[in-house]
Amino acid sequence: MKQTLLKTENLSKSFSNGGVLQHVLRNIDLELYKGDFTIIMGASGAGKSTLLYALSGMDTPTLGTITFGEKVISKLSPDRLAIFRREHCGFVFQQIYLIEGMSIMDNVLAAGLLVNQNKKALIEHARKLFQAVDISEETQNKFPSQISGGEAQRVGIVRALMNSPELLFADEPTGALNSKTGLDVLNTLTRFNEAGQSVVMVTHDMRSARRGNRILYLKDGIITGECNLGRYLPEDRERHEKLQDFLQQMGW
Amino acid sequence: MKKLILIVKSNLRRSKTQTVSIFVLVLLSSMLLNIWIILSFDYKENFWRCHDRLNAEHVTMVLDNSQDEFCHYLEETVKQQQNTSEYSIDKTFWMSGNISYNGGTLSSDFFVLEKDMACTRLIGNYEITQDSELKSGIYLPMLFGIGTNYSVGDVIEISCANRVLSYTVCGFYNSAMTGSHNCGMCAFLVTEDIWEELEREEFIPSSTLLSVRLYDKSQSEFYEAAIKNAVSRQFPSIQALSNSWVVVSQSRYISQMICSGIVSAMACLVIIISLVVIASGITNDIRENMKKLGVLKAAGYTGRQLTGIFYIQFLGLTFIGGVAGIALSYCLFPAVNEMMVSQTGIPYQIHFLFQPFVITFLVLGGTSVFVIYLSSRTLKRIDVITALRQGMETHNFKKNYFPLIHTRLPLQTALALKTTFSGAKKNITVCITMLLLSLVMVFSGVMIQNVIFDIQPMINLIVGEVADSCVSVKAEREAEFLEMLYKDDRVEKVYLYKDIEVRHVGHIALNLIVTDDCTKINNQNLYVEGRFPKFDNEMLLGAKYAREQGLKIGDEITLTADGNSADYIICGFTQTSNYLGKDCLMLRSGYHRIGTLPYLSYYINTAKGTDINTLNKELTETLGNDIEYIVNVEDAMTGTISVYVSVIIMIVIVILILSVIIIAFVLFLLVRTLLAHKKRDYGVLKALGFTTRQLIFQTALSFMPAVLLSLTVGLIISILIINPLIALFLRGIGMVKCTFEIPVGWIIIMSGGMAGFAFGFVCLLAVRVRKIAPREMLHGE
Repeated sequence: MKQTLLKTENLSKSFSNGGVLQHVLRNIDLELYKGDFTIIMGASGAGKSTLLYALSGMDTPTLGTITFGEKVISKLSPDRLAIFRREHCGFVFQQIYLIEGMSIMDNVLAAGLLVNQNKKALIEHARKLFQAVDISEETQNKFPSQISGGEAQRVGIVRALMNSPELLFADEPTGALNSKTGLDVLNTLTRFNEAGQSVVMVTHDMRSARRGNRILYLKDGIITGECNLGRYLPEDRERHEKLQDFLQQMGW
Repeated sequence: MKKLILIVKSNLRRSKTQTVSIFVLVLLSSMLLNIWIILSFDYKENFWRCHDRLNAEHVTMVLDNSQDEFCHYLEETVKQQQNTSEYSIDKTFWMSGNISYNGGTLSSDFFVLEKDMACTRLIGNYEITQDSELKSGIYLPMLFGIGTNYSVGDVIEISCANRVLSYTVCGFYNSAMTGSHNCGMCAFLVTEDIWEELEREEFIPSSTLLSVRLYDKSQSEFYEAAIKNAVSRQFPSIQALSNSWVVVSQSRYISQMICSGIVSAMACLVIIISLVVIASGITNDIRENMKKLGVLKAAGYTGRQLTGIFYIQFLGLTFIGGVAGIALSYCLFPAVNEMMVSQTGIPYQIHFLFQPFVITFLVLGGTSVFVIYLSSRTLKRIDVITALRQGMETHNFKKNYFPLIHTRLPLQTALALKTTFSGAKKNITVCITMLLLSLVMVFSGVMIQNVIFDIQPMINLIVGEVADSCVSVKAEREAEFLEMLYKDDRVEKVYLYKDIEVRHVGHIALNLIVTDDCTKINNQNLYVEGRFPKFDNEMLLGAKYAREQGLKIGDEITLTADGNSADYIICGFTQTSNYLGKDCLMLRSGYHRIGTLPYLSYYINTAKGTDINTLNKELTETLGNDIEYIVNVEDAMTGTISVYVSVIIMIVIVILILSVIIIAFVLFLLVRTLLAHKKRDYGVLKALGFTTRQLIFQTALSFMPAVLLSLTVGLIISILIINPLIALFLRGIGMVKCTFEIPVGWIIIMSGGMAGFAFGFVCLLAVRVRKIAPREMLHGE
């Protein structure tokens, strides 16, 4: 029996655009489980990012509830949501968004110090994570503009994991990277997931989607399909074909 | 050109708040600059215009004799002077008296003229500024009709020579040379019936009024001295009261000089801040729009054309703000004018002045062009490819300030300090603003302490010496008078403090203070250099006069009085503004070398709780007609000084309001720019879990190092320079050294308030952080 981390009921999100109401998410009932690598796929405009904002507490739904554990987060104030995010969520952005005026280590510590005041333990934790993503000590002292895109995204992953979040949200983490560095990032995320980290990733890249064990397909704001693939194995052709068939069924 | 204007329009639309802020600052600069120029130039010229319009005299003299023989001698003496152009000799009545004024008592020399005669004089004409149907009464200088003083129909009581004269106020008049007690002599015009009564009863001695117009008015002081010397040679016992064009043209404009000095300082301050804001606006524009500028360059725009955008944008803004500021200055000028006229006593007709308009534009335009040139010249050197690649990310990371791995500071503080140290231009703008504002604050603090809370330092500076009562008694009754006072328990101290006119080398009139014991003088800061005189051949000399004449301590000067001359060694310098720096002080034994004192003026300090008026009344009853005048000094000071106090209170209020407006605008611009720069970073931090409150605090905290450092440095510098600076402003009235008490405690509290205001205001402005949504960081769709 999988443990539910996050649950939505009738999750809806609408935007008013020039006086016209657009329903981007419609009555979504969803559960995210501990240890899963959940992939959210869909065509452009399907509502993938909007769903990610809502699930991660970056945005509040128009209707419905989101419950994290026992706590309803959909009604929290912006500052309460910020506290929720820092304590329970990690984020990896497509454009990476490291803070330019701070060194790599500072970027990571800035997130860590928000939750944990034990600086010594934090630094040790950061160093372990840096080692895990293959970021050297020399690089840790550089500024974001002085490192490559792949390195930066791995730093982004370290930053996201600094507070040992229950859920790691990744929004097209390979979108701004070339194929080799993108692969490195995916491998890193897979490794952390294998070590027990729950991941929710938005992507429209087949190669990235293969890393997930659970694929959700979103169309016009509704989850139209779900595919459970099991653990990722690089050479598992059957798994890959299953995903391809699923996506084909979904109209990908 | 059309394309450039389109780009300018787009820039203005994009940066509405910056445009409004710069417009307001330019508007304030232009308003203050225009007011300053009008006050400095045209306001002073107004006296000359009034002087010409009334065909006013350059030398006025009242002599306490009206016999034919004397008048004939006087006329001959005047005729013999080569510089005499026109003259008029008329009968008058001269009295030293007291009147109620500005809530106190005004003690001055007044002389009386018949109204119709005064208004038809060919020289020194009097113009009625307010008349009435009343047939019998008195016309006062228009100065006395300003504020809550006298109105038509009121009764004025003049205390003189043991009598109180009561007259109904029929109206007010204007006169260039005798229309204010600040001239040293002040006229009252009376209706024919009162004039006849004065002639009939003769309780006020009949005197002669001499009014002379000169060919060369710059020589008016020497002319005045020459006539007085000639009269005193022939008629040694004659007392004279006089003034000259040179002295009056300065003494009637003391407030104008002080106000213009302060407005000029404020104008400079606001101009500097406006220029800093324009410079910072341009550099920010270049940084924010690097990519856009790269695109324009790639499209073929030259560096000159791109800088032209800034010239059109900011010079246009300066022009519009300048015109609005000048218009505003004319809207506000009636209030300034009313304040000034309450001291000058000369009506000023507000009218548009082309010269100040042009000067204001030249100053604002010239400085703006210079700043735009300096700030935008980097545009010419920008490489297209670099501009296109860099865009917003034009960071220069030389140092990771306050690395979180090492610093012991709390996270918010460390992040705030990182922001502080990465924004040099922002810090420079804050520092310049706060440095200038700290000077304003110290000035306000000094004025509040020394003018509003405790007026004594101001009185000491302007008046020189004050006590509780001042009695001028006939020399023959001095011993009896002193014995009486020594026996009186209410009297704590009594000392001679008599002022009398002497002449330096027979030319320039100096106001001499004669005393017996300098240690008894209340204001021991009366001398600003050297020491009080100890011997009868020593004297203190006015520092301003000494500087003008090139005299030093130890030099010997010749003074004349009553036709006698003697040499005196300058043992120190004094300063008071009563005679615009033409003052001196010596011992009684020293004065006896050249003259005698028929009346002795004694200053009296009384025990706490003494009713000065009762004491004065008792002295008057005892000594009767042997008292020349008796004054409740505090009352007299209140009347005289309240004009200055109200002017200064108004100035302090205005500059404090201006300071708050300036700091608010500068911070508004800086916070807005900072938030624009940090929008992405703040979005990321929000996504990571930083709350809006934390980011607001960080933003406000990032300004504080520059605010606190510049406030501290500014306060230290300002405290050190404020007294010399005030002395510099007041140099026109004879001040060379100012010893105002600096209320350090109050200033620190005010600075704390200013820093607190800055912090609070930045917090308020940074509430916009709330609008930065972390979801904007995600671009998955």
